[in-house]
Amino acid sequence: MSGTLIDFCKQLEPTQLKLPSALLQTATDGVEFQHHFPTTRDEAWKYTRLGRVASLHVSALKFNQTAQPLPSSDYIDVIFEQERWHCSEPTEGLHISFAGALDSTDWNACSLDGHVQHINALTAQGGVSIRVDAHVSLSKPIRIIHRIQGENKALILHHQLVLGSNSNTQLEVFFEGDSEGTYANVLFDFFIGPGADLHTDMLQQTKGTHYGFHTQRIYQQKDSTFALQTLSANTHFTRNEIEVFSQEEGTHTQLYGAFIGRETNHIDNHTYVHHMAPNCTSDENYKGVLSDKATGVFNGKVKVYQDAQKINAYQSNKNILLSDQATINAKPELEIYADDVKCSHGSTTGQLDQQALFFLRARGISEAKATDMLIKGFMAEIVGAVKSSHIQEALHTLLD
Amino acid sequence: MLKITDLHVSINGTEILKGLTLEIKAGEVHAIMGPNGAGKSTLASVLAGKEDYEVTSGTITFEDQDLLEMSIEERAREGVFLAFQYPVEIPGVSNVNFLKTAINEIREHKGLPALSAKDFLTLVKEKSALVALDASLASRAVNEGFSGGEKKRNEIFQMAMLEPKLAVLDETDSGLDIDALRIVAGGVNALKSKENATLVITHYQRLLDYIIPDFVHVLYDGKIVKTGGKELALELEEKGYDWIKTAE
Repeated sequence: MSGTLIDFCKQLEPTQLKLPSALLQTATDGVEFQHHFPTTRDEAWKYTRLGRVASLHVSALKFNQTAQPLPSSDYIDVIFEQERWHCSEPTEGLHISFAGALDSTDWNACSLDGHVQHINALTAQGGVSIRVDAHVSLSKPIRIIHRIQGENKALILHHQLVLGSNSNTQLEVFFEGDSEGTYANVLFDFFIGPGADLHTDMLQQTKGTHYGFHTQRIYQQKDSTFALQTLSANTHFTRNEIEVFSQEEGTHTQLYGAFIGRETNHIDNHTYVHHMAPNCTSDENYKGVLSDKATGVFNGKVKVYQDAQKINAYQSNKNILLSDQATINAKPELEIYADDVKCSHGSTTGQLDQQALFFLRARGISEAKATDMLIKGFMAEIVGAVKSSHIQEALHTLLD
Repeated sequence: MLKITDLHVSINGTEILKGLTLEIKAGEVHAIMGPNGAGKSTLASVLAGKEDYEVTSGTITFEDQDLLEMSIEERAREGVFLAFQYPVEIPGVSNVNFLKTAINEIREHKGLPALSAKDFLTLVKEKSALVALDASLASRAVNEGFSGGEKKRNEIFQMAMLEPKLAVLDETDSGLDIDALRIVAGGVNALKSKENATLVITHYQRLLDYIIPDFVHVLYDGKIVKTGGKELALELEEKGYDWIKTAE
């Protein structure tokens, strides 16, 4: 029988971060109150079983405060690998430090929700703190690379990015490596200042029996723009939780995602956009392609608060199932309390377009190649929104 | 080149073609006319290899090979081309990219090296001009947002690029205005040679004013009931298909 949440935390190490005591108390209470891992009777975990996660025996990867330097390149790199972290020399207006070096007051604006984040708060061994000064447009993209290797390891990190007013940042995040029985719980807090613009492309392509929990909590101030492309490719187990708090007027949020699953892969995408202020827009577009016995989950929620008038919220999810045994559970949700808003949502799931397949084959293209072309075409909208050339290339290879 | 003998074809248990026999030689243009439901489009689909149709008896040989044994893509690589009655829209797949893949797969099948990017683009320029297809359409997603006429011209453009031995035009005239019809027919005529053949499937005689057939066949109730020269098309236009039905 699998262990409790407390047992799971006990096999890990107490957090190295100085979270405020109130936040730690929330996490402790959460873990004690909930006691067991959620089951499929819990709404948020209806389609994702955690039995295997609960019975994982893992030891925490620990990190030094000081980063190993990296040679200068076209990127500002931050790399977490085994028990080391590496960091490039920051450019002007950019400040990078170990998250463990932050004071408890630096974490005051954070919030936590659910057992994944509670575990993270109690056991995080590090993370990176990135600050971009006001009015700074970074000349190089920042890359955060998580390389997960070995057996029975746990990578638990809490990153914090604070983007000054009217700053402009491009971020690329990678999860890669080949491992067995590993667990990752990586939490990002994004604080996006007034008029700031953050574009993030994230690629998850871990190999082996890796259990990845990825949480992004985004706090958007007035007139800020946040775009996130989440791409999950052939991962054994992935749970993405994205929660956006549009706190002030004039924000734009773009959440795009592509997930590709095969064999017995399980990829779960949960998104939640809170429109708390008027005159904002959000655009969400997720596409999934599943083959073999892979399962996918899309649960996208948009909540428009009572005073948040003139909201334009668009949500779309489309899936292609390439085999009879592949499964998708899709649930688009809208909760609207304002009366002057434009919201749309929809979800479709089907097979590959047989007419299109016939057409391509009738022009001499093999069935396998025609299938690839149609899948690439299906994913083109998402791939087109990716700015990272590395991720674009990786996707082209994955889709071939 | 193409020899169809006593072909019987069913779909979902209903027999559509009931003993069709037809021979097409290199250099010839054949037209098949007939009323709705006679089996015209079924014939086109069976030639291309569409899997929804069941061939219950009869044979089709193409260049002395058993066509029915070949996969859809093998037929195309051997030189059978179907211009679709309803061209498919494929969002996210560019016209040029798809054609490049098609050409190179066909070339590989023939043991030829892949076409260089430069040679390919020269070919695109030359062949799109043939059907007055705007160069910008060539780089857009396949048929997405194309007008009816542009879709049909795109079919002929693909035909020009792939240079098939046997082109089967399935109701290529449907939905075309007279100018588009002229352009499409002009493209087909320009591609005509002693080595290739064309099978025009049409409901109306109109297209045959522009693509002059050597033979006209009337398909009725799954069989070819009458064969003649180009004047047969005019006779049909004048008398209608009832004339054939009553002549049965």
